[in-house]
Amino acid sequence: MALVAGVSVLGPGRPTAVGAAPAEIGVYSGRHYNTDKALYQEFTRRTGIRVKLLEAKDDALIERLRNEGANSPADVLVLVDAARLDKASDLGLFQPTRSASLSRDVPVNLRDSKNRWFGLTRRVRVVIVNPRLVNPASIRTYADLASPALRGKLCLRDSKSVYNQSLVAEQLILRGEPATRAWLKGMVANVRQPFFTSDTPLARAVAKGDCGVGVVNTYYLARMLAGDNGAADKALAARLKVVFPRPAHVNITGAGVTRASKNREAATRLIEFLASPSGGRGYAEANNEYPLRGYGNNPILRRFGTFTAATVSAEQMGARTRQAVNLMQANGWN
Amino acid sequence: MTSFSLRARPGHSGRSLLTAAVLGLVLLALLPVLALVAFAWLGQEGGDLSLGVAGSLQIANTMLLLLAVGALGAVLGTANGWITTNCTFPGQRWLRIAQVLPLATPAYLLAATLIDLGSRGSWRIHGPLWAIAVLTLTTYPYVFLLSSESFAVSGRRQLEACRSLGVGPWGSFRRVALPMALPSIGAGIALSGMEVVNELGAVELLGVPTLSVGILQRWQNDGDPRGAVGLALVALVMVSLLVAAERGLRRRSRRWLIGGGGEALPRWPLSGWRAVLSVLLTTLPPLCGLGVPLLWAARSLDQLQAEPPAELVLLGGRSFLLALLAALLTVVVGLLLSLARRWIDLPLIRQFSFLAGMGYAIPGTVLALGLMLLGGPWQLSPLLLLVWGYGDRFLAVAKNGLDAALEHIPPSLDEAATGLGCRWPQVIRRVHLPLLRGPLLAGGLLVFVDVVKELPLTFALRPFDFDTLSVRVYQYASDERLGAALLPALLILLLGLAASLALIPGLAQAARGADSTRAGASLSPD
Repeated sequence: MALVAGVSVLGPGRPTAVGAAPAEIGVYSGRHYNTDKALYQEFTRRTGIRVKLLEAKDDALIERLRNEGANSPADVLVLVDAARLDKASDLGLFQPTRSASLSRDVPVNLRDSKNRWFGLTRRVRVVIVNPRLVNPASIRTYADLASPALRGKLCLRDSKSVYNQSLVAEQLILRGEPATRAWLKGMVANVRQPFFTSDTPLARAVAKGDCGVGVVNTYYLARMLAGDNGAADKALAARLKVVFPRPAHVNITGAGVTRASKNREAATRLIEFLASPSGGRGYAEANNEYPLRGYGNNPILRRFGTFTAATVSAEQMGARTRQAVNLMQANGWN
Repeated sequence: MTSFSLRARPGHSGRSLLTAAVLGLVLLALLPVLALVAFAWLGQEGGDLSLGVAGSLQIANTMLLLLAVGALGAVLGTANGWITTNCTFPGQRWLRIAQVLPLATPAYLLAATLIDLGSRGSWRIHGPLWAIAVLTLTTYPYVFLLSSESFAVSGRRQLEACRSLGVGPWGSFRRVALPMALPSIGAGIALSGMEVVNELGAVELLGVPTLSVGILQRWQNDGDPRGAVGLALVALVMVSLLVAAERGLRRRSRRWLIGGGGEALPRWPLSGWRAVLSVLLTTLPPLCGLGVPLLWAARSLDQLQAEPPAELVLLGGRSFLLALLAALLTVVVGLLLSLARRWIDLPLIRQFSFLAGMGYAIPGTVLALGLMLLGGPWQLSPLLLLVWGYGDRFLAVAKNGLDAALEHIPPSLDEAATGLGCRWPQVIRRVHLPLLRGPLLAGGLLVFVDVVKELPLTFALRPFDFDTLSVRVYQYASDERLGAALLPALLILLLGLAASLALIPGLAQAARGADSTRAGASLSPD
């Protein structure tokens, strides 16, 4: 009975045969937040569909799914970053999904043109500035990071970071290869310290004045501001000014039904739930990310202000990532 | 069953059985690698086998780490082994025990906590020098364990002669003990070298691209399995050289140990600056290895995000059970292979049992990929693959100590036992097992500590809803949420510490020098 009641709460979900054994789906996820688990439990509570979870690095999951082939126990693959979603579709790991609610809830540029994967949350890569060293108004676009005025003041994460790779891929699409190459050269010339391997120490270095400018994802800063990393980090983050370049680079977390799925229906319902305004909000809030539309209710994100997202589709970005990596490495961004 | 002849070795059917077992085990150990090579060569993907600029840099970095960590670890491990075995200075007994504690700290945890502490104080913890420091601190106990065993058991008579001739501790060390201990030191360096080649998390965090980073990157990011297998082969060659060097040195050590025995010697008392230096040398490495994560924990209490206790118990329980299972598996298989080597005098068996231990040479990530290739089409359960991987990877750790210990048991003992009417299973039970208790326990404990810390295999192969402590720590740490990693990380340290401390009774016995023939119980026959 609870099952029937649950289905009606879910709204647009397909009806489940009364009396059918409760379904179970396997989820491979490149995200690992405890709050995600709470969300999957909520899904189970609403639909009666149990979720088995395996969280690991995105690339390792792609490799695992590939080797398991048709025998894979995974029904849904959740990946972070557009390029990885694109790679998984190229490898034939997803199957197309038709869903009215997904078409409605996921903006066109945040899903695959063949409906193989759908964006669930948005993450924005922004410029952070230490106002004592650099005037925040002097940076309007990512191109400004190559300005000679920033010589010796820029700190960057290394080129292994998929967030940087997708950022450069987008610049390739927006500005073409020659301009992107010149931009990379200018930025590398401005770099002050060896490339960082993570965002949080980079944000700390900018806040302490070891660098004047850095590039990070908003949620690392939001975590610091929320006090998740302790009081010292909270005070440090308060010194930073967030600059949304125009247009801002937006990356996504996305998911698709696997080709091996034996339970397409249930798998689709989970993705629908995660993309729906209520489910998606939970997914985004878990990590201080932005929902698919708007700015959400997170007070810290609201304080950052609004931004204009680039209109490049996640699919286009994914297709240019390889070229971006080569260009970064050829120009000294290791 | 046909009757066994009254000889030291099992009869014909027993030997066939053993040979078959050895062949089966070697096949199991090699299958993942064969699958990888076949996949890379027969597959359509990937480019040529060029190393490229990145590959050359990765090889150069790996060599640099191998040489520097080897040299530093050799000095530190040997010096601390010698002074805590043969000298007295304030706190000597406790400091001797403290030398095994850094084994409990995973290198990636030490690196992550160092980077975090550093970035709070405007220190950039980055680059090869830091990688060398981190890896030296976490691997020098291997050299310490093996060299102090050698200092405790071998060359007592020669050292006695030194003393009666008035040669001091430094002279005795340089002219007698060090040359005798060289094989053990070399074996320790080889073990730490294998850890260095395999290290992934720490070098990634510190921005030092090594071969193991390169292999993963080529395979998963560049979609170039051929290039990855090419790099893996380079890693394999490096580790094979280390293993070969280790075996060669062990062979030399057999000759030296004949000069062992004799009464326990009084220790040289150290005073003045010598005592101060000794205290510093033995205090600082364990203090850094264990102290940095603990300091970080103490300073991060305000960002502690506790998991539900039930979840922590589950994570800890899984880590513990997997480690226990792997320890039992490797010890049993190691014993079987070592005995086969002793009893079946075929060069083929010798080489095969050597090959079975080569899993230690394969970086965990590569082994995981090989096992995935096998597991997919055969629909093997992920847990089975995981245990297979542990067995493959850590067999050498359990087996090397056993091989060495068996070499110290004279074959005449086996013959005497059979002469008294024991059949070979009884010889194992009544002669070998009691004599090998020490190395069996030591090997098992080392595997236990290794598996609790293990990351790449567990990460890649575990089934649904089956996280372990190390997986959880790595997930949080790689997502830059160290506060959430705090409790699981402390539990890893705790499990590792418990196992490291269990290694100590043998060590303490050696420290008391109560009986020099039993002294090296930590890694030699009891």
